[in-house]
This record gives sequence, structure tokens and C-alpha cells, in this order.
Amino acid sequence: MIDALYFDGRSAAARPVRLRIEDGALVLQEAGAASESGAESRWPLAAVQWPERTRHGQRLIHLRGGGTLRVPDSAAFDAWRGDGGDGAGSWVVRAQQNWRATLAAVLGLVVVAAAGFVWGVPLAARTLVAALPTTVDAEIGDAVLAQIEQRWLRPTALPQARRDAVRHAFVEAVAAAYPAGDAPRWRLYFHAADKRLGANALALPGGAIVITDAMVDALQGADDTLVGVLAHELGHLRQRHGMRALVQVSLVGAAAGVAFGDFSSVLAGVPAVLGQLAYSRDAEREADAEAARVLKAAGRSPKAMLLLFDRLRPQPGEGSALAIAFASHPMDEERKAFFRAAAD
Amino acid sequence: MDATTPQSGYRLPIRFVGSGSEYFRIWIVNLLLTLVTLGLYYPFAKVRRLRYFHGATEVGGDPLSFHGDPWKMLRGYLLVAALVVAYSLAGWFSPAAGAIAFVAVAALWPALWQLSLKFRLANTGWRGLRFGFTGSRGGAYLAWLPLALPGVLFGALVLLLAPAQRGAAAAEPAVAGILLIAALPLVMLLALPAQLWWLKRYQQRHYRLGGEKSRFEVGLGAAYGLALRLFGMSMLFGLLLAIGVALFTTLLRGAFETHQPPDGPPVAALLSAALVFVLLQATWGAYLLSRLQNLVWNRTRSEHLHFESRLTFRRLAPLTLRNWLLTIATLGLYLPFAQVATARLRLESVTALSATDPALLLQHAGGGADDASGDAAADLLGIDLGL
Repeated sequence: MIDALYFDGRSAAARPVRLRIEDGALVLQEAGAASESGAESRWPLAAVQWPERTRHGQRLIHLRGGGTLRVPDSAAFDAWRGDGGDGAGSWVVRAQQNWRATLAAVLGLVVVAAAGFVWGVPLAARTLVAALPTTVDAEIGDAVLAQIEQRWLRPTALPQARRDAVRHAFVEAVAAAYPAGDAPRWRLYFHAADKRLGANALALPGGAIVITDAMVDALQGADDTLVGVLAHELGHLRQRHGMRALVQVSLVGAAAGVAFGDFSSVLAGVPAVLGQLAYSRDAEREADAEAARVLKAAGRSPKAMLLLFDRLRPQPGEGSALAIAFASHPMDEERKAFFRAAAD
Repeated sequence: MDATTPQSGYRLPIRFVGSGSEYFRIWIVNLLLTLVTLGLYYPFAKVRRLRYFHGATEVGGDPLSFHGDPWKMLRGYLLVAALVVAYSLAGWFSPAAGAIAFVAVAALWPALWQLSLKFRLANTGWRGLRFGFTGSRGGAYLAWLPLALPGVLFGALVLLLAPAQRGAAAAEPAVAGILLIAALPLVMLLALPAQLWWLKRYQQRHYRLGGEKSRFEVGLGAAYGLALRLFGMSMLFGLLLAIGVALFTTLLRGAFETHQPPDGPPVAALLSAALVFVLLQATWGAYLLSRLQNLVWNRTRSEHLHFESRLTFRRLAPLTLRNWLLTIATLGLYLPFAQVATARLRLESVTALSATDPALLLQHAGGGADDASGDAAADLLGIDLGL
């Protein structure tokens, strides 16, 4: 027996009642003047929606058909109902009530998030991208190329002969690395660029490889390195890294949105950005592996890539942990060690 | 008893009895379930969250209740998720398909917004009565029209000018068009308070509880008054922020310069941007939120009910700052505590006043809203209900 206030769903007036459970029904006994013989109404238990147990707040019982019962004394209600809470959700509710289970949930969340981040998202991205027709890559790549050509690039100032030599060296290397002729489709563009892009090379979805004049000039007389740089970009194309990055950002963004989206969409965007930087480092490693493979197949040494780091970075910086978390490429030392090992 | 009776009527103070630690446990358990079910559990988690927040909100001693059925909401979510996936894929396949998808979603938007309001209100109860939202679908389209108009005009202009620019002799209309396009942002900025006021007006004048129907008594003048004060505050906060950030960046640059790889992203700049964002939330954002809540709820009333909202910037600003800093420092784990603290401050600043005994309210006929797809859309498309 427990005291409650009954709202019938038609008026906001409260009627004090006394509740008891009898023969599979919830019985409401009006606590009127006639006391013991007050009017009674019965609700089959199937028509009763019990509240979930919480530590704070009052208990509300909903009756099918619109009535509501408010039990101000939550402690008395919990003692009365005991463990007979609402069936389906009850183990979830018990977990919510229990700090040990909560701690397990925190750990579980960390494990699920880490596993999803390390394996789940890259795997899903690989699968989804494999299902996308390559025309989609080309569509996006063309749009991006048009954008950066307009904003950052100018026509190349390299002599035709130099461009032909670079292109020729790369064509031969690719042919050697893909004897079956199954290399990913690529097109090479030479462009002058402003300081922000500097000596650089980039691969766009769909097959466009852009190399800046500054990069070609910096690697004057080092054709092996130049081929390695282009092969690195070919690695990005082969793995469709650009498309995978797009899918990965969407997936991490969606997961973060579930967690933080109702609070702030800006906060939800942070994991997507940081996550992309981490994935980008993995992509660079894969592209470096392709560079080493193509160089070896073409009879050139992967050690040639070491020159890249010396010529482009006169003062190699010591990375702090924070800088690594924010950097899109692995640290130079790690990449140098990889190319040194690949040459053996 | 719950309602006290001074001369003027019944005061129904709002209390929020939820606790951060309890909501943290609810949040973390349900978040884990949502992730391991790849999102399918989301509506169940959401129902649990709303039940907790509603149940912890006591108006004159009586808690609110949430009655949404998670299974029906799941159907809505799957429907809207399919729409969102189709929408985001369309842009990848071709720009034309993307444009068509954008127009389709834009055209559906007001209807989804209206559905979500109906769903949310119809599933909220107090003292056994259900709230209602009486705004019509056509009214929702009318409410969004001023906001959509510049976009429609802009699109039409671009379509008109594109062929004109191709013609050699069509220099004059092109120049006029470019001038128009240049003036558009300014016009849009000046029109924004009126557009938002028009939208909010539709929302606030269609609430219903028993025989009480809400009215919205904020005029256009008050909306521009608030906009003007906000503008003044942006100048003030902007100046203070610029000074603070300049100092902070100088300090950070000193600390990072020696460690930074030459081509790495500028860590100092990123940290400064994060700091600016948090400070903006705590100053400008808190100012906007407090003034807006007071303006809107002090002047939303019905025949017998009205509200007193006394949310102060002085209390909201430090709370917002603390919430953001702790949320970032704990990588998001503080989030449920932040939400509970904000809900408590915002809700407990409000008192409902009734000219008659609230027990005399009677349930209005009809008004059921079972379509949960609007609510799902509100979540997935990021429509802010802002009740």
C-alpha cells in the first residue's frame, strides 16, 4: 500500500489515492471521507507503465488511456515495488544505478571507441569506397583541381624538356612496378605555386597528381627522389586515400555527433578533425611503402628519398607529443628510418 | 501544498531536481549501447534522457513527463537516416543531384520542423494533461519564408545572370547584378532579427495546455532592441577578446616556437582559436541566451498563465565558462554534468504564474501526434527546437 495522487488525464485536478496490487491488477482506492469503503478502480498490470528507478525526483506511473499517478515519496515507492521494475529496460536501469557498472561502461566505451577508431572506421571506409564507382573519385577530383588551380596554382615555368624528362622517368618506373599494366590511372600536372604550397606534390581522387615547380627545382639532379615523390602520390591514388578520408571524416563525425551533438556541433567536429590527422599519418605510411616499392622495381634505391628531407627541411625540428597529435605526416625521423630499411 | 496563493494568483516555481552524477551514469550506459548497436539504440537512449530531464523538472511541485514511444521513434529515425544518407551521397555523384537533394530537403524542412514541435509537445505531460502544438503546416512554411527568401532570390539571380554573362553585349545587367549580390549580405544582416522574430512568433503562439493557448507579445521593436544590444556587446566582447588573445598567442608562441616542426600546423594558433571559441560562448553566447530566454518567456502568455524568467548573465557566464573548460579538459566526460547544471540554472530562473487554480485546467480534445519522423529529423538534421 502506498499513497499517490491520481490525475485522470481529463482534468489537472489531483485526487489522493492509495495503491495496492491485487490479482494481477493495480488497484486505486480513493482516500475519500468514506475511508475504507472509498471508490475503487482497477487497472490490469499490462496497462500500467512503471517508472524507471532514479535516485532523484518523484515517481510517475502512467496508465493506458491517459491517467497518471504521482508518488511523491520515492523511497517508499521503491521499497514497495522492490525489484519488479519495468521488464525490458531493467538491466540497463540497474547498470545506471550502479557505479561499478557505470565504470565498466566507461571502460567499455573507451574500448569500443578505440577499436572503432583503429579498425572499425578504416575498415568501413575501405569497404564503402570499394563499393563506390571510380567515376565518383573523378568527379570530386576534378572539382578540387579546378578550385586549387584557381586559388593557389599558376602555369608552370619549367622548360618543356625538363617536364618531359620527369614524366618519362616516372612512366618507366610505373611500368616496371606494374608489369601487368594494372597501375592506377594517373595524370601528371606541373604548376607554379605560391609560398604557402611551396615545394609540394599532391594526389587528388580520380588520378590527378600535381607537382609544384619548386619541388622539381629542389630535386634538380635527383631524378630517383623525384620518381619516389611521384610514386608516393601514386600510392595515395592506388589506395584511394582521398575518398577514404572523406568517408572516415563522415563516420567519425557521425559517431561524435551521437555523443556530443545535442550539446555543441563544434565540439562534435573536433574528433573528426583530430581523427583525420591520425588516419592521414597511416595513409602517408602506406604511400611511402608504395614509393619504396616502385623505386626498387625501377632499379632505383629507396635511399634516394632521404634527400627529400635534407633538401626541404634544412633544420629538422624535434617533435613534442602535442605537435605529433596535430601533425598530418609522421615525424621525419620515422620516415627516414623506413626508407633506409627499405633499401636493404 | 504545491501552489501558494498570494493576492495575484498561484505561483508555480520551477525546480530542477536532477543530478549531474546520476545523469552521467544514464548517459554513459546509453551512449555505449548506442555505439555497439551502430546507432539503433539511439531513440531508446533519447527517450531515457528526455524522461529523466522532464521528470526532474517540477512545475509547482508536479514533474513534467515524457511519453514518446521509442519503437515509433526508431521508425522515424530509420526513415530520416535514409533521407540523410541519400542527401549526402547525392552530392558525391554529381553536382546536379546534390543541388536537387538540397532543394528537396530545404522544401521539406519547415514541415519536419512543425512535425517535431507537434511530436515533442504532444508527448509532454503535466498533472496528467498533455501539451499541444497547434501551428499548422502551412503556417510553418509561412514562418520560414522570410529566411528562405534571400536564398531563393540569390539562386534566381545566379540563374538569370549566368546566361547574361555569357552574352558579350550584356555587360550592364551583369554589373547591376554584381552590385546587388554585393549588397545582399548587408541587407540579409539587417533583416535577420525580423526573420528570426517571425519564426519564433509562429513557434511561441501555438503552444497549448488545457484550454490555455499561448500568445507571443514580443513586437518587432523589442526584437531589434535586443539585436542592437547584442551588437553593442559584440563590440565590447570583441575588443576584450582581441586584447586577451594577442597576449595569449604571444605567450604560447614563445613556448612552442622551439619545438614546432617547420611545416606542422600552427599549434599556438589552434589553441588560441579554441580559447576564442570558449570565451565567445561564455560572453556573447551567455549574454544572448540569457536575454533571449527572458525576453521570449516573459512575454509568452495565455489567458490565465504567464511566466517570470530572471536568467542573469552574471550567473550564466561563469557557468558556461566552467562547463566548456571542464568538458574539454575531460575529453567530453563532463558533458552530462554541464547539461544538468545548465538546465538547473535556466529552469530555476523561471516561475510560472496562474491566475486560476491550475487544478481547474481541462484536457483539450484531440491533438495526438504519433509521427516521430519530425523529431528524428530535428535530431539528425540539427534543427534546433529551442523550446
